[in-house]
Amino acid sequence: MSEILKIENLNYSHRLKKILQDVNLTLQSGKIVGLLGENGAGKTTLMRVITGVAHATGDITVAGETEVAARKGHVSYMDHLGAFSLGTHLDRIVKFYQTVYADFDIDRFNELAEFLNIDTSLKLSALSKGNKEKFVIALTLSRQVELYLLDEPFDGIDSMSRKDIINSIIKWKPETATIVISDHYVSEISSLLDEIVVIKDETINCHLDADKIREDKGMDIEDFYESLYERGTDND
Amino acid sequence: MILKFDDKIPIYLQIQNYLNRQIISGKILPGAQLPSVRQLAVEVTANVNTVQRALSQMIDEKIIVPQRGRGNFVTVDVELIEQLKMKLIDEQFALVYRQLHDLNFSDAEIIDKFVEYVKNRGALDE
Repeated sequence: MSEILKIENLNYSHRLKKILQDVNLTLQSGKIVGLLGENGAGKTTLMRVITGVAHATGDITVAGETEVAARKGHVSYMDHLGAFSLGTHLDRIVKFYQTVYADFDIDRFNELAEFLNIDTSLKLSALSKGNKEKFVIALTLSRQVELYLLDEPFDGIDSMSRKDIINSIIKWKPETATIVISDHYVSEISSLLDEIVVIKDETINCHLDADKIREDKGMDIEDFYESLYERGTDND
Repeated sequence: MILKFDDKIPIYLQIQNYLNRQIISGKILPGAQLPSVRQLAVEVTANVNTVQRALSQMIDEKIIVPQRGRGNFVTVDVELIEQLKMKLIDEQFALVYRQLHDLNFSDAEIIDKFVEYVKNRGALDE
């Protein structure tokens, strides 16, 4: 096991408002990590900063690389495809990914697309919320990188689509790659996670092994997470 | 999903229990090869690392035997499987016994009631 991500003394402000402060975080390779926090806590911001789309002060190392341009080659960040018009056919988007990312593995995409029942002859506008999410996941996981960042992939989708997506993550996650999944509703993915990282009050509140929480506290992950928000509770 | 997790209990333990029960009940036979770690992970909807941890635990307990390059096999030592069975029975009885004892039933009552229960169940099944 090696270090895949190291964040040191990271600070990020937007229009003079502090979003993230003194963030320090180290993730090992081969893990599935839940990034938890309320809406607006800074989960998406942290992912954007790791990828290099947003700029912050502090040091970020991904697979040994610190420069933004080099880092980008090691991170696959889930894009919600907002830049494509709704009339775009899915196979055009796949072509675009193939052109832009040298690490995009088309065989892997085809396997995922078959598993998730994605019809790439359709237009973006023809996709249900669940099918769009599946398509986005297939694109994201088809890049061959060390770090995958999935930004709320289960937000507002039906339970069958969720199951399919979870199974595709289990099946196609490269052994040494680490996947970070952000969510504000943890119970739907808790059995999948090695570790959880909670963002609260603009910083990392805790970073713990999921089974260790269950073992030491006899609590489910959802209850533990909620306990962090109860005032006056000592969580150590 | 065949296995529904209780999120209060470590997932690796639940996977271990699930596999142990399959071995005890003969659904997986002595000497049989287990599916690959990833296949098991998909089967129970868990993380590959968590499944690996459950398997490592079972390897420590010698219930499964890894064979280099070939995967994991259930032990052919039926004595060991018998011990596992006894352990499971003990655990189940301990649970029932404690609950009934907490309700102030005496040992004799518990035995009587249990014999009666099995008899009535038998009648129901016929």
